[in-house]
Parts: sequence; structure tokens; C-alpha cells
Amino acid sequence: MKSLLLSMFSLPACGFIKAQKPWRLSLLIGLIVTVAIVSLFVGAAQLSLIDVVHTLFSGEESTSKELDFIINQYRLPRLFLAIGVGAGLGLSGALVQGVIRNPLASPDLMGISTGAGLAATSLLLFYPQAPLYFLPLAALFGGISAALMVMAAAYFNQPTPARLALIGIAISAFLASGIDFLMVVKPLEINTAMVWLTGSLWGRNWQEVPYIYVSLMLIIPFAFYLAWRLDVMGLGVESATSLGVSVNKMQLLALMTAVVLASISVSICGTISFVGLLAPHLARLLFSHQHKWLLPGAALIGALLVLVSDLLARGLQPPMELPAGVLTSLIGAPYFIFLLYRYKGW
Amino acid sequence: MNAQWSRFAPLLIKQTPWLVMMLLFIVGFITSLLRFSSFDLNLSDAWALLVSFNPDSLSQQILLTLRLPRSLGAMLIGANLAVAGVLMQGLTRNALASPSILGITSGAACFMALSSIGVVFLASLNSVLVAALGGLLGGGLVMVLGGFFSQSAHPLRLVLAGIAISALLVGVTRASVILADDMAYSVIAWLAGSISSLDWSQFAQLWPFSLVALAIAFVMAGKMNLLALGEEVATGLGVNIKHVRVLVCLSIILLTAVSVAIAGPIAFVGLLIPHIARKIVGVEHQVLIPCSALLGASLLLWADALSRSIAFPSETPVGVITALIGSPCFILLALRSKLS
Repeated sequence: MKSLLLSMFSLPACGFIKAQKPWRLSLLIGLIVTVAIVSLFVGAAQLSLIDVVHTLFSGEESTSKELDFIINQYRLPRLFLAIGVGAGLGLSGALVQGVIRNPLASPDLMGISTGAGLAATSLLLFYPQAPLYFLPLAALFGGISAALMVMAAAYFNQPTPARLALIGIAISAFLASGIDFLMVVKPLEINTAMVWLTGSLWGRNWQEVPYIYVSLMLIIPFAFYLAWRLDVMGLGVESATSLGVSVNKMQLLALMTAVVLASISVSICGTISFVGLLAPHLARLLFSHQHKWLLPGAALIGALLVLVSDLLARGLQPPMELPAGVLTSLIGAPYFIFLLYRYKGW
Repeated sequence: MNAQWSRFAPLLIKQTPWLVMMLLFIVGFITSLLRFSSFDLNLSDAWALLVSFNPDSLSQQILLTLRLPRSLGAMLIGANLAVAGVLMQGLTRNALASPSILGITSGAACFMALSSIGVVFLASLNSVLVAALGGLLGGGLVMVLGGFFSQSAHPLRLVLAGIAISALLVGVTRASVILADDMAYSVIAWLAGSISSLDWSQFAQLWPFSLVALAIAFVMAGKMNLLALGEEVATGLGVNIKHVRVLVCLSIILLTAVSVAIAGPIAFVGLLIPHIARKIVGVEHQVLIPCSALLGASLLLWADALSRSIAFPSETPVGVITALIGSPCFILLALRSKLS
């Protein structure tokens, strides 16, 4: 009787949410576009609406060099990078949480971001003349090694979800001390150092844009290919196998996808923390558990998070610039504590 | 001769760990005092400084004004952090507890940074007091949010809450430092924990607080043993639990705060040393606390020597060295199945 009542009430509610999901996605996209437009106006130089529109839509010859530089070479690429990197981190977080079935998992809590950061930093310091495309490759190598370390620990240790988070944090503390060490032995300019210590989009330009967008273009279709398989995996290994999903292969594929996305994002903006944790959780609040909605939702929320933090990082005290990673950790750390508060699987 | 030897031998064997630790400590002190200097120093200079001080000798002046306060400071800070770690692990009965993991260090560092950029109420206070307030806030937040006071708290929750709060406080620290000053590179070194600029005036601030707090720790050692048996047993044996906890917390906060105020947040000493000490001398706090103090002092002295040698002639912050040594130990502890 009770279950009948429940289903009577929840069925129409489900339908309601289902109908709302496309609206919520488009609302998110609208928000991103709005914040992106606002972020063109924020920064050390005050620009008027006419300046911005004129610079964006007329040819290079007709605008002043200065405006062209501020808008087209500085703010515009940063905006695109923030969206791309955020989407990468959010998607990667959703995939990791989907595979490990662990609400506390995320690429940065599993050492992947720090591993990628350490490898990228080493490359920059020891081989500074390396061409730009080496950086994502090095980050990928670092991210995969760190993920393998955590996976090996998980394989031998069979940890509970909370302990897995702890192991990941311990490994990333070790890798982070490596970054600290490199920073001190070979001092860099403060803003560059902050990129690798806390994550920031300082000094990034059009050069980096193709890397993140090409990898997003390649991986997003693949993520949708994984979507229903991740749903089925949530039913348990046996049900998933009997429904025709080879679980081990799928887990490995999804994890590797997540590692690739996170590493490439880190190679661009450093270790912006907590986005990979926060975005999938917020997406679950908005889109419930189905991965075909959850994955794009997490990507969009991640993009919005990084975009807003970068906006605030530039806009709080204009000539000075905060690392965006500091702002995401100001939002993310309290949320992590809230998750711990609710988490019951000790 | 033979009879005497047979009487001494068991005693000698029993004391071997202590002898080795003392040796490690003394060699560490001498290394930290004399080696890896851009100016050539040797043992005879140190001896001359002790017996017949000559103010005109350059090497003796360097030893007296630069090296001696630094080595003595490293020693005290190492002992402070190690003892704070022992006390925290005893108090929370959690193998991963330590000042840096449960947010005390980062709280203290955060308040130090806020006071250095002139936040109204903090800027007028003594730096040790500022650090103590910060440590109290950080540690208190972790205890409350980590569910230490609730009945069914899991030890992991405390640790994860500590790590999250630390991340938050480090974020605030970095943000405030960057907003205040764009030439913030030296702050990165301070935030990693550095003792390279320790002088006599700082040492004069360090030792009174350290000695008081260490003395409290020694006095509380017996009570800590009883507390380890569980709250009910301890109460039954006539321990005033609240009293003990308050005093121990006071000692922890003082030990950590004074170290952070002088040297910045040096991580992992308080986590690593108690575990090693427990392996050597067992779990009784009367011997565990002195042993940890000795080991912590040696670790920091050696780390100080290493911090100068590793990228000679430039200096690495000593906190980076301890993090490189200590974080693999953190991984091992995280992997081990039992937590408390």
C-alpha cells in the first residue's frame, strides 16, 4: 500500500523533472553566456559597451591596438579557456564518481590533478624550451601515473570510499610537496608559480584553446557512449554483466577518459581544486541520477564554476589578480565538509 | 673487568635506542650548526666560542649570531611539533591526528598572514597570541565539524574534515597575502615553513612558551596514559577528564602556535615522529613524550642541514624537506587498516 502511494506520488514528479531537464540545461547555458559576456567587461581596464561590441565585431584595422589586445587577445581567450577547462574538470569528476560509486571521489582528491601538475611543472622547469604541445602530454603522463598509484593502492587495500579519499589525498599531498620543492628550488615569477600551486588562468591565451576544445570534442561523444553503461553499472556488477556490459573494461575506459580530461585541463590552468567534486554533486541535484543528463549537466556546471571564479579572481581588486583555485577552494571546502556530514557509509 | 662488564651489558643493551637517538641528535646539532655554510666553519670554532670567546673572530661571530639561534630554534620547534603530535594522537585516539592535519597549523598560519596584512584587531596583538587564536579557531572548527564531540564519530571523518578545513584556510591565507602584496614570493617560502631567518630575538620569543608547554605535557603524561584506557576507566581511576583535556589542549595550541609564529607551518613532523617513537619505546607517555621530543628535534636539525645542502648555496624551506620525508609516511598510514 505504502509503495503504491509512493509510486503514485513519485511518478508524476518524475515526469515533471523529465520535462524540466532540457529547460534546466538551457538555463545553465544561458547563465554561462551571460557570465561570459559580463566577464568581457571586468578587469583592470574599464571598457564601455560600444568599445566591446565594436572591437568584437569589426575588423582588426578599424579598432585601436589597445582595445584589440585587451578584448581579443586577453579576455576572450581566457573566457573560452575557463569554459573549456571547467567543462573538462566537471565531466571528469562525474565520470570518476560514476565509476567508483563514491561521493567523495574526484580527480583532485584522487591525486590525478596533482600528478598532472607535478609532471607539467617539472617539464616547465627542466626543459623550458619544450614546444607547447609537450605540456598536455607531460600532464597526461603525470595524471595517469598518479591514477595508477591510487588504483594500485585501492586494489591491494580494498578501501571503504572514505578511506579511498584519504589515500588519494595522501598521495596528492606527496606529489604537492614535490611541486612545492620544485617551486622553491627554481623560483618562477609569482603568478606562474601560483598557476601550478593553486590553479589560475593567468597569462593564458589563444595558444592553449585548441588543446582543451579538441580533447573535449573527441571525448564528449565517447562520454555519451558510456552514459547508459554507467547507469547500468549502478545496479551492481551482476546486473550490469547480465545486461551486456563488460564491467571491468567499462570501468577502465571511463576512468582513463576522466584522467585524460583532468590532465589536459590541469596542463592549461594548474590544479584548480574542488571543481571536479562540486560539479557532479550540483548536477545530481538538478538532473537526478541518469548519466545522459548528469554528464552534460556536470560539464556545464563545471564551466560555470570556473568562469565565475576566474571573473571574481580578476574583478575583486582589479590590477591585482587572485588565483582562481583559491576561490574554488573557498566554495568547495565547505561543501566537502557538508558531504562528510551527510555521508553515512563509514 | 669481566664481572663489571656482565653487570653493565644488559643495561647498555636496554639503553641502546636512547644512546642511538642521543647520538643522532648530537651529530644532527653539530651538522646543522657547522656544515653547509657559505663561510667555512669547523668544530674548533665552536669549541673556541664556548671556552674563549673572541669577538673579533669572524667565524665565531657568524656562529653566535646566525647559526646558534637557528640550530637551537630548529631543535625546539622540532620538539614542540613532535610533542604536539603525541598529545593530539593521545587525546583524539586517532593515529592520523597531528597539528597539520587537524587544521591547527593552517589556522595559525592564516591568522599570522591576516595580521601581517593589517586586519584591524589582529595586527595589534603579539604574534604568538595571534597564532594561538588562529590555531584554536582552526582546531576547534575541525573538532566540531569533524564530529569529535558527537557519539558515533568515525575517526576518518575527523581527518577528512581537517584536510578540508586546512584547504580552506590555506586558500584564505594565499588570497590575503596576494591581495596585500604583489611581491609575494617570499611568502611562498614562509608558507612552506622556513627557519632560515631565525635570530636571537625570535628565539627569545620561542623558548619561554615552548618550555612552559613542554612542561605541561610532561606533567600530564601519566594522566594521558589513563585517558588512553577510555573515558570511563579514566574517570573510575579518579582522573578529572575535563581538566586534563583543557590543559592538554592548551599545551598543544601553545606548542603549535609558537612554532608557526616563528617558522611558518612546518608539516608532517607531528604526524611522523610519534609513530616512530611508539615503535621504539612503546606507548607509555612518560617515555613517549621525551623520546618524541628528542626525535623531533633531531629530525628538524637534520632537515635544516639538508635544506641548506640540497640546493647549495641557495636555501630550501625546511618545511618542504619535512613534507618530502613525511608525506610518504602519511600514505603508509592511510593505507594501514587500523586507524585508532
